[in-house]
Amino acid sequence: MATLKLVNVSKRFGEVTACSNIDLVVNEGEFITLLGPSGCGKTTLLNVVAGLEEVSEGEIWIQDRMVNDLSPYDRNLAMVFQNYALYPHMTVAENIGFSMRLRKRPKAEIAERVNQVANTLELEKLLDRLPRELSGGQQQRVAIGRAVIREPAIFLFDEPFSNLDAALRVRMRVEIKELHQRLGTTSVFVTHDQEEALSLSDRIAVMQFGRIKQFGTPEQVYSLPTSKYVARFIGSPQLDIFEGEFESTDGQWYYRIGNERFQMPDLTQLPDESPDLGVRPEHILLGSEGVPASVHLVQPIGPFTYVTVNWEGGSATARVSGVSHLRPRDKVNLSFDTSGLLFFDRQSSMRVELS
Amino acid sequence: MNKNLSKVIIQIFLISFVFLALGPILWAVVTSFLPLSSLTAKPIDLDPTKFTLTNYVEVLDTSRGLMSGLINSMIIATFTSAVALTVGSAAAYALARLSLPGSNAILLSILATQMFPGIVIAIPLFIVMSRLGMIDTHLGLMFVYLSFVLPIVIWILKGFFESIPIQLEKAAAIDGATNTQTFRYIILPISLPPLFATGVFAFIESWNEFFFAIILTRINVKTAPIAISEFAGQYRTLYGQMLASAVLASLPVVILAIIFRRFILEGFVEGAVKS
Repeated sequence: MATLKLVNVSKRFGEVTACSNIDLVVNEGEFITLLGPSGCGKTTLLNVVAGLEEVSEGEIWIQDRMVNDLSPYDRNLAMVFQNYALYPHMTVAENIGFSMRLRKRPKAEIAERVNQVANTLELEKLLDRLPRELSGGQQQRVAIGRAVIREPAIFLFDEPFSNLDAALRVRMRVEIKELHQRLGTTSVFVTHDQEEALSLSDRIAVMQFGRIKQFGTPEQVYSLPTSKYVARFIGSPQLDIFEGEFESTDGQWYYRIGNERFQMPDLTQLPDESPDLGVRPEHILLGSEGVPASVHLVQPIGPFTYVTVNWEGGSATARVSGVSHLRPRDKVNLSFDTSGLLFFDRQSSMRVELS
Repeated sequence: MNKNLSKVIIQIFLISFVFLALGPILWAVVTSFLPLSSLTAKPIDLDPTKFTLTNYVEVLDTSRGLMSGLINSMIIATFTSAVALTVGSAAAYALARLSLPGSNAILLSILATQMFPGIVIAIPLFIVMSRLGMIDTHLGLMFVYLSFVLPIVIWILKGFFESIPIQLEKAAAIDGATNTQTFRYIILPISLPPLFATGVFAFIESWNEFFFAIILTRINVKTAPIAISEFAGQYRTLYGQMLASAVLASLPVVILAIIFRRFILEGFVEGAVKS
């Protein structure tokens, strides 16, 4: 276990800047996720931490050692790759034990450690197989075994589940989480899947254009996103954003969208310019009160149904508990649960706190 | 119906292609068993009762130069392909994977050496070799063969190395392997099929080479193709013996291809498909 600290880290490839001025502290035993769309620099950042890419600027600290000039191996970390990167000509046992073989450990010791690791990952029956004889999930477990056997200070995961089917992905997610709870090793996980990030992480770093836009707990990035970008990236279906104006009538504040207006909680201080309003599906209410809307799409997903409606302000997706009896073109009324409203500055797109 | 017709047409085409390719070989094998009198008769006498092994017995006589030619060819082709593979695989790996300054220029200049027909460099090469005292030596011919085999080996293997997922090397680096260890334990073992394929290619190239062999050898290092050509004299050509020698000289290559055929096929397929 170790802490990982990045101080003003940048990585450039010629003219292209992949990561710029990244500051990040991962505490001992913490599981963090670098989350962002493809091309946002998250894998590059992971490679820089691993030592597979040289850092252009800044410092990388593992525990109390600056590791900028250390080889990947000397940084004492292990990495699990997106396409598993198993050595195709080696058996499962040889794959897992390769790092020990390189260090010229005695054969008996290697065999013992490989067996231990294989037991914890339920690979003991597959030790003599070649990677091509394994299923995707088994291959991924071997890749994890190869990382675990090193007993590294830090685990790095580079989109390890993106080649797996949905069901297996959820299962592997559970396995990784259990593994982390058991070993308590500091972990950095890269993914573009916000659900994966929310379910696995102690904290999430949401990235865009090579920068960290927000670093916080899953609750923070979901409920208190710092910007429109983070708010849109986290949460599925995406939150809806409406452009309207504040107005007050008889001391009561309203947010007007088109010709419709929504009553707001008591506000004492308002920004000079009205901000945009963001509402997540669970805070959009469909019922007999509110502004008229017409059902456009109904998506049942089991415990919830997502109902997309069209109204004067555009379209909005609401989360309805259980099975909804609404059908396309049904007439409903739409209102907002004011406890969960998010406001974003129209110019900077940053979230503003209204009181 | 249409499908079957096109199948038949393709098969006819393939069969005729096989005949076209095998024809000369078949002809060489048949005539190698015929006495000179049958071969010079008009029309040619293909009477199977006259089949004889005399040609083979004659050419295997050590005084005829074929045996020493085969030995010379074997030495030169073996060493050429061994050196080409060792040096070529290391160079190809470096060019494919390490960020070398000017690697593109290096690659292009390697390719550029292949753009000149042999005849253009024949005279300068002869002068250089004779100044170095390398005329009629194994080493001399080996160097010359390497100069045209090595570039091709480098280009073929570079393409293959590039098709290996880079994550394998990253994983090895994380596991603590140096560049050399990565090459030895990971890259080399999974590259065996293409290495065999290019090795066989390098061997065949050097084994069959005629032009430089005739310029750069005199007596000691005559290779098999030169020995075969010497059955054509000024006054008469010993067709039977010539073709018997040709058949014998083809055997090592054929055997090599049969032994490594699985690797050769895999090798060329793997180089073609990126995974």
